Amino acid sequence: MSGDALATIVVSALVLGSLYAIMAVGLAVVWQALGIFNFAHGLFMTLGAYVAWQVASGASWGLWPGIAAAVAASAVVGAIACELLVRPFLGRKDVVLVAVITTLAGATLIENGVLLAWGGRPKQLPPLSTGTVDIFGAALSAHEATIVAITPLILLGVWLFLGRTRTGAALRAVAQNHEAAALMGLPAARLYALAFALAAGLAAIAGIFLGAIRFMSPAMGGDPLLKAMVVVIFGGVARFAGPVAAAYLIGLVEAVSTYAIGLYWTPSVLFLFMIGTLMLRPQGLFGGARR
Amino acid sequence: MTMRKALIGLVVLALLAALPFVFPVPYIRHIFILAFIYAVVAANWDLSLGYGGIFNFAHVAFFSIGVYGYGILTKIAGWSPWMALGAGGVLAVCAAVLVAIPVLRLSGIYIILVTFAFAQLVLQLVVSQSGLTGGMMGMVGLPTFQIPGYNLVRDGKLGYYFGALILLVASTGFLRLVVGSRLGLAIRALRDDPDYAAARGISVARQRILTLAASAFFTGVAGAYYAAYLRIASPDAFGVSLLSLLLSILLLGGLASIYGPVVAALGLTFLSETSVDFGPWRHIVIAVVIVAVVRIWPGGLWSALRRIGRRHPS
Repeated sequence: MSGDALATIVVSALVLGSLYAIMAVGLAVVWQALGIFNFAHGLFMTLGAYVAWQVASGASWGLWPGIAAAVAASAVVGAIACELLVRPFLGRKDVVLVAVITTLAGATLIENGVLLAWGGRPKQLPPLSTGTVDIFGAALSAHEATIVAITPLILLGVWLFLGRTRTGAALRAVAQNHEAAALMGLPAARLYALAFALAAGLAAIAGIFLGAIRFMSPAMGGDPLLKAMVVVIFGGVARFAGPVAAAYLIGLVEAVSTYAIGLYWTPSVLFLFMIGTLMLRPQGLFGGARR
Repeated sequence: MTMRKALIGLVVLALLAALPFVFPVPYIRHIFILAFIYAVVAANWDLSLGYGGIFNFAHVAFFSIGVYGYGILTKIAGWSPWMALGAGGVLAVCAAVLVAIPVLRLSGIYIILVTFAFAQLVLQLVVSQSGLTGGMMGMVGLPTFQIPGYNLVRDGKLGYYFGALILLVASTGFLRLVVGSRLGLAIRALRDDPDYAAARGISVARQRILTLAASAFFTGVAGAYYAAYLRIASPDAFGVSLLSLLLSILLLGGLASIYGPVVAALGLTFLSETSVDFGPWRHIVIAVVIVAVVRIWPGGLWSALRRIGRRHPS
């Protein structure tokens, strides 16, 4: 393997890892707070990308207002989805299962809503920054370089929010014991909605990242959601660092596998890798105690 | 009481058997054939998910394995369609045992994720082996069922209607047998209190393998029947839309009820097939209906029907 190839693999691993980390952290936040798995998560990504496209390219107000609008719109829809699709069922014994079907229904709703609003023609977002950057001999678009550079900042922001602010502490308290938290006067319903909004806003950012690399379609969220699922299984959700580390590791495995055996077999390699890991360590690679 | 139940069962069966003669419209038969097949798949899923409490999301993959098993065995290996029908069930059971291995040590949401990933893995395999499976295009023109001198598709699909009804009755009988057996008691005990059940000597690993294998057989047969009826095997059989349709049938019908999925399969298949022309709105309406029903009748349609039956004892 030449140095060029190595650099290409590393760069590709970092870009994929960034994307997966942002998606997976959102999944993990909702999972931690509500104990459910949100199958509509990929659609918040789609929604964000399309809102950003509408503001940035459709109305030509520029990319940054587009990003702001996308994150806001996704967060609002996320909070509404939590209120309508998840919270009514929280006390139920079969909530895990019911949440699968209601969030799947939510995903269907958003996907077809996007299809009605914007049609099925592929669209593309403008890149975050233009031009190319040369790192260790690998030509990298400035857009991808921006993704790699700002993702750690975003993740740091989320980590600080969850770990260092009162709201973040309240969110964690509700996640650990919602009855005790409610007795302490924490507004559980609002905190659940906040967890969903935070996750959806993060997904919107991932959608903006991806929307300038690949073409956008109403079904664009499916593949990243699947990868984010692999990531959270892999990393476990017990600690914030788990899914993040797993995201970059999965990005690396995917990049190496794509280079070595091709795009076609890569998903199978990932899934086999994951099933194998779980047989040896059922709680995930970096998982400690599980929820 | 059991006499009355048996009587109701016989009346329903007689009505279903008379239906194709009362409404001699092939389109209505088509909807019922699909509904019977979906009912078999959903009711068998109920065995692992509702009775066993195992969140097995590879169940739809068992169905697809039946579909592709039928396609490959009849078209490439040249088996007779009837042999391939049984083989579809056997292949699905083998897949179930394979899935059971990683599932044995996991619990709750992790099982959902791993089984979901298993289904995706099978899909990847099917799509990549395009020489055998036709890849993304799938397989078309599969052979249909024949009994000597008669093709089941003749007379407005009459043969397929009764075939599907027999399949549904056989599968329902099988499920009632399993649920009432020692295995059925053991898996419910494990679902309700795993620690106590294990302390009483029930082996978690063995029951999980048996449950998954038992739930796979008729699911695979239904897949093969589906392939023989539509004469295609396509990767759509792995799709999220089929998964969510079947899961909705199961949840709307009510968990751990066997008959609930049958009722819900008829309702949802009817809704889904008659709204084919409405494009995106079709999916939106179905999604809203699903959430509304789960919200209004937490126990599913079957328990709602039973409650009505109890309020008005006839």
